[in-house]
Order: sequence, then structure tokens, then C-alpha cells
Amino acid sequence: MSHIVLIAINFVREQRWPILVLMLWIVVLSVLGLFIESRVAREDVLFIFKQGAVYGVVFAVFFGGSAIHNERKTRRILAVLSKSVGRGEYVSGLLAGIALSTGIYWFSMGVTATWILGGEGLPVPQLWGIILCLAVASMLSATVAVLFSTILNPLFATMATFVALVVPGVLALRFGSSWTNVVPAFSLISTLMGASLDAPLSIPWSLMLLGITEAICFWLGAWWIFSKRDIAVAVD
Amino acid sequence: MPPVLEFEGLSKQYNRIGNRGVTALDNFSLSVEGGEVFGFLGPNGAGKTTAIHLAMGFMRPTQGGGRMLGKPFGDSKTRRRVGFLAENVALYHRPAEQLVGFYGALNGLSGSGLKRSVTEALRAVGLLGESRRNVSKFSRGMLQRVGLAQAMVNDPELLILDEPTSALDPLARVAVRELLLQFRDAGKTVFLSSHLLSEVEAVCDRVAVLNRGRLVRVGKTSDLLESGQETEIVARGVRPESFTGARAMNGSIRFSVPACSQRGALEKVWNLGGEIVSVNPLRRSLEQIFLELTAPRKGAGTGSGA
Repeated sequence: MSHIVLIAINFVREQRWPILVLMLWIVVLSVLGLFIESRVAREDVLFIFKQGAVYGVVFAVFFGGSAIHNERKTRRILAVLSKSVGRGEYVSGLLAGIALSTGIYWFSMGVTATWILGGEGLPVPQLWGIILCLAVASMLSATVAVLFSTILNPLFATMATFVALVVPGVLALRFGSSWTNVVPAFSLISTLMGASLDAPLSIPWSLMLLGITEAICFWLGAWWIFSKRDIAVAVD
Repeated sequence: MPPVLEFEGLSKQYNRIGNRGVTALDNFSLSVEGGEVFGFLGPNGAGKTTAIHLAMGFMRPTQGGGRMLGKPFGDSKTRRRVGFLAENVALYHRPAEQLVGFYGALNGLSGSGLKRSVTEALRAVGLLGESRRNVSKFSRGMLQRVGLAQAMVNDPELLILDEPTSALDPLARVAVRELLLQFRDAGKTVFLSSHLLSEVEAVCDRVAVLNRGRLVRVGKTSDLLESGQETEIVARGVRPESFTGARAMNGSIRFSVPACSQRGALEKVWNLGGEIVSVNPLRRSLEQIFLELTAPRKGAGTGSGA
């Protein structure tokens, strides 16, 4: 367990600049809260909140899609895996690092949104339900990305992840809405996209549970594939 | 005592899309005993790094296997007792102390024990004074030393080093050599892959030479150096013209003969009224042996040695 924590903290440390860039959205949202009469422009604030939420998921995919490849390319992975660190622990550490990075973001987003939107018609428990949905969506997306990154370079891993996340939505349009649940990241994000300050929102708890279950499956898949891979060969 | 590191019929083939596979190692077997400094030699592309990476579990063999400290290659718990320094060391950018601490923690060290180990490792490689400096500002030689520190931080039983002194200046190289000898004197084992043959000659008890993925020679360094088939004879009271290739030096002559002709040459000196000053097996440098063993040959590939 301590290996996973160490690798996770190391990941956050190495990704500190992208995380800071991501946190700029919180700053933007906070500035809006300070200087804009949210009662007047509350739908605009909600729009920025939605935009920031999508960026959070996109960043999770980028983090996951490049995590293993970058470490292999720089050969820094060799020094880490020369210690008593198993391949599964390594993958788990990276995912824990992504969870930590995005977790900081979602928490900050939740606090800021509670402050700005909480009093403007969006009930606070509902808002935190949405934040939870987004956190699950980002972790599900990240595990898919890490799975692909065990075999593909960042560009292809990221592209493959987006395809895997979007294709169920496209299939749903043609064959029915149950397809969106195949990889429910899209459906979970849609929960926020459909949110309005004037209409109550139902939190899709069962979808979240499905998302968590699938994330665990993708995580185990990434673990299994990575444990079979040669990591010391040229990656390009 | 079982070998500390054992390669058993190990083969590794790299498959490339659209190309024929490249055989990096071909039925490679080798045993490294405890308490020795073992030199692992070979030209570029001979398969040295592949063998090391297989031992560390970074790759899976196409065929065969091996054991490290009694456990199959790739066992993560065993790596706690092993120190490894990769060729072209690549480390995270942070203060040396924190960096070595991170690697120590990955090997299960914590608290005051970790702090003490980090200090000792940095002192051993001469970087204690630079411990708070970010390694991104280090020279290549300093990076290699901090890499060595991370390999030694867990006080390993087996140290596997891939070109550990390639970027070091002569002073630092001597310091590392002494460090390795101290390590051996403490009963530990060093597996050293290097191109610096003088380095290997000075420090290694045994060496193995790998060429095109196959082991072509293994043995004690001293035996290899003296394995020449020639003997050098120094004699007095005879003329240099009497012996092919003889040189006159300070009233004596010096010449070498094949070992099988040694007796005949000595008798000739005595028959000519001369006096033998010395008879010594001719030592060759490791470089000469290395070049002989790894020179490209016409026709069939190299044969397996030991």
C-alpha cells in the first residue's frame, strides 16, 4: 500500500504544472463569484462550471493516456521498478495519483460552486451529487486511458479513450439509450450538462455504481496487461 | 552456497512489425557466486543490457529463465535486496536527498532508518555536500553518482550496475572502484557491466564476455589475463640474433616463445652458455582478449564458451 501512496504522490508532484493549469478554472469561477452579480448572470456561471467540469474529465484522460508512456520514454520507470514495486502496484499508484489530482480539482470545484451556485437555486446536496458523478466519470475515463496507455503511445491512447467513451453515446442514438451505459462516462457527464438552476435534478446513483464497477474492471485489465509488457524496450 | 544470480538457457527475441525478429540473447547461461565482483563485457548490441533487464524483471524471456537471490527473475520482493543502476541514468528532478529518500522508501525504508541510509549513500558517492541541490542542476557525472546512491540506499546484497562509471572523471572512477571493493569485502556481490576494460580488469574477480547474444568466455580475470599461449624469457650471456624476435636490454635479451616451445628455448640458452634470468607467462590485457573474442568472424557465428 505504501508503494501505491508513494507513486501517487510522486505522480502529483510530477504533474504539478498541468494540475495548476486545471486549477485556473477554479480561480476563474471564484473571480466570477466575487465580481459578478451571480443573481443576474447565474446561467453564465453555471455554464462556466459545466465547462470546467468537462475540462476536469479531459485532463483525467490526458493524465491517464500519457502516464506510462512518459515514464518509459524517459526511462525513469526503470529506477522505480528496480525497487520492490510490483507492476500492479505501479499501475495502481498512477491511478491513485490521477485520482488525487482530479480529486483536489473536484473538491475545489465543489466548494467554489457551493459558494457561488448554492444560493442561486441549485441545492447543495444535489450539487455535490453532480461533483461525485463527475469524479466517477473522470476516474472511469482515466482507467480506460491507462488501460490503453499500457499498449499505445499517448496520442493513440487518448484517441482510443475518447472513442471508447463517445461510441456508446453514438450507439445510443441509433439503438437506444441503454448503450450509453456500456461505458457510462458520457452519461455521467450528461447529468451535469442537463443541469439547470430552475429544474430539480436526479442523481444517477446506479450509473455511478456501474461506473465504479467498470473502473475497477479497467484497472484490473490495465494491471494484467502491464504485468505482461516489456518495459525496457524502445517505446517509439 | 547457491549462486546469487543465475541465467539458465535464457533467450530473448525482439519482434518488430514488418521485420524479422532480432535475437538479443541466445541460450545464455551464467552463474554469479556470492561475494564476487563480476565483470560483464561485450560490444554494443551484444545483449548485456537485455540480460540485466531480464534479471530485473523489466522484460520477459522468449525462452529459459533464471534466479536472483534464489527467486525467479521478476520477483518484486527480491528486488528489495538488490541495487540497480541503469545505463543512461534517468531520475526525477528534485533535491538529491529527497530523490534518494523516495527510492529508499520504495524499498520499504522509513523514518530515521531511511534518513540514515540516505545520508550514508550520499556520503559514499561524495554528494553529501550537494544533498539539497536539485539533481536537474547536476552534471552527468554527478547524476551517475546520485544514481549509484539510489542503488545502494537499501544496503543491497547484490548490486547490478550497467555502465556505472562511463560519465565519471578519473578521480570519481577511482572512488567508485574503491566503493565496489568495499562492497565485496563486506561479502556482497557486484554484477558490473562496463565498456571500460581497465576498470573491469582492476576490480573484477571474474568476467564473462558476451558477443551477439552468446556467451563466448567466462572465467577468473587472472586466468584470462594469463591464458596467453606465450612465455616471456629473459636471459644473459647470449646474442639476440640466436632467438627470433629477441631484443637486447641492459646486457640481457628478452624474447617470447609459444608455451609449447618454452623447454626447447631454455635448453638452447643453456647450450649456448647463457643464463636464464626469468621465465614468465606473458600477460595480455583484457582489451586484447576482448578484441580477440568479439572480433567479427567469417562464416559461422561465435560459439558458446563456458
